[in-house]
Amino acid sequence: MRRLTAAEFRKLVTIRLGLWILLASVAWAAGYTALALTYGSRAGGLTPPLTSAAGQHALFAIGAGGAGPLAAVLGAAAVAGEFRHRTAATTFLVTPRRGQVMGAQLITYLVAGIVLALACTAVSLAITLPWLHARGVAISLTGHGNLAVLGGIIVSAAVLGAAGAGLGALAGGQLTAVASLLIYLYVAEPVVSHITALNAWTPYLPGVAADGLTQAAQAGVRLLAPWLGGVVLAAWAAALAAAGTVRTLRRDLT
Amino acid sequence: MAGPAGWIVADELVKSFGQVAAVAGLSFRAGPGAVTAFLGSNGAGKTTTLRMLLGLVAPDRGSATIAGQRYTELSDPGRVVGAVLDTGGFHPGRSGRDHLRVYCAAGGYPPGRADEVLELSGLAGAARRKVRGYSLGMRQRLALATALLGDPPVLVLDEPANGLDPQGIAWLRGLLRQYASDGRTVLFSSHALAEVEQLADQVVIVSAGRLAGQGTVAELAAGADSPARLEEVFLRLTAGAGDGSAARRPGAESS
Repeated sequence: MRRLTAAEFRKLVTIRLGLWILLASVAWAAGYTALALTYGSRAGGLTPPLTSAAGQHALFAIGAGGAGPLAAVLGAAAVAGEFRHRTAATTFLVTPRRGQVMGAQLITYLVAGIVLALACTAVSLAITLPWLHARGVAISLTGHGNLAVLGGIIVSAAVLGAAGAGLGALAGGQLTAVASLLIYLYVAEPVVSHITALNAWTPYLPGVAADGLTQAAQAGVRLLAPWLGGVVLAAWAAALAAAGTVRTLRRDLT
Repeated sequence: MAGPAGWIVADELVKSFGQVAAVAGLSFRAGPGAVTAFLGSNGAGKTTTLRMLLGLVAPDRGSATIAGQRYTELSDPGRVVGAVLDTGGFHPGRSGRDHLRVYCAAGGYPPGRADEVLELSGLAGAARRKVRGYSLGMRQRLALATALLGDPPVLVLDEPANGLDPQGIAWLRGLLRQYASDGRTVLFSSHALAEVEQLADQVVIVSAGRLAGQGTVAELAAGADSPARLEEVFLRLTAGAGDGSAARRPGAESS
């Protein structure tokens, strides 16, 4: 298992995909943090006042909010790409125990999610702290429960990375995997989660559960408590990982 | 009878994809110390059979074993079997050396082994270039290099000469002969019958998913009017299989 995980990490660092995703998520973090600071600090802005706990939580959640979805895209594109480029067959020749290969991939993209979240958080903080300091807004990482939010961002990106890997194994192709993921996270779920009549169950959708974990509040969207959001998100990831593993085990590589 | 060491044994293999019967009850053996050619028309079931031997495709019935075990049961398959598949298996954006180092990590071989097989396969000069820029022949050499990583006693190669230039073919011929004379097992598929005639000790001919003949070229030609060339033997044994598709041949479906 250690060998396989080492091989999966080596796969990840020897192609450009991971680097592009890292750059995209860092650019996202820088851009959204700057936007949230600019507009959030005005009266009637997008986020609550930055002196409040809710305002600071929203700032961090928005700033590092690209890490989770992009970790999922990375996992999905990389694992589905194994079948597209037929490197999966080469891997299964070295290790015919496909369940172990899948396990190594889940670990790899979980760790990749953590790396993306840490990079985004670092960028977000590097912009936020001097900016607020210059404007005389007191902000403390340990105050207002901010550490819990930052922790939630890291956990959610890790779980989403593994969920993406599961989806990549489950989907028919690389394009299908990535396109369905993006359409779901950025079109279907935002629409559905704003329907008030459905808000008894929309908090349990994977992306909304992830927002529950980080408390990335959006107006009109009901969120779960962080711990419950984490549990629900982990359950979705486990379901995708299990379904992807079953598909991989049964698949004929022709 | 053959002991398990080094033997490749296919026993009544059957595989269908939907309505298409790719392999319809195929049995054959390939043993150590010999180069065995695996011949058949396009669609005769060669690739599906080799993939069943390698655990990539699950047979509907029958069994495929190497050294007495199914591929998926081998504890360290990379050190037992080296395989070349007919379809790439490289990420275009990864260099040849990085490709090999990925599988060194997966198989637990020292990283320096990647450079050894690059040298052996004549790719050392292109090691750090991305596979995207490789010619078909270079990709084939990289596939062979990957197969050799674990220094395996058994080689299973699907059209390994495909795309190789004359120097490459001569190199491959020397390599496979050397492997066989070391007492290793070599099974390879090919359409180049003149090449096979020079190289192979044993020939397995498959037609419409079934065994059409196995033996040396001389054995297969026995009974012919003249010392038959392999091409004549092949065409005679596979006659009637139409375009080679088992599915289109009445009665060839697995029952």
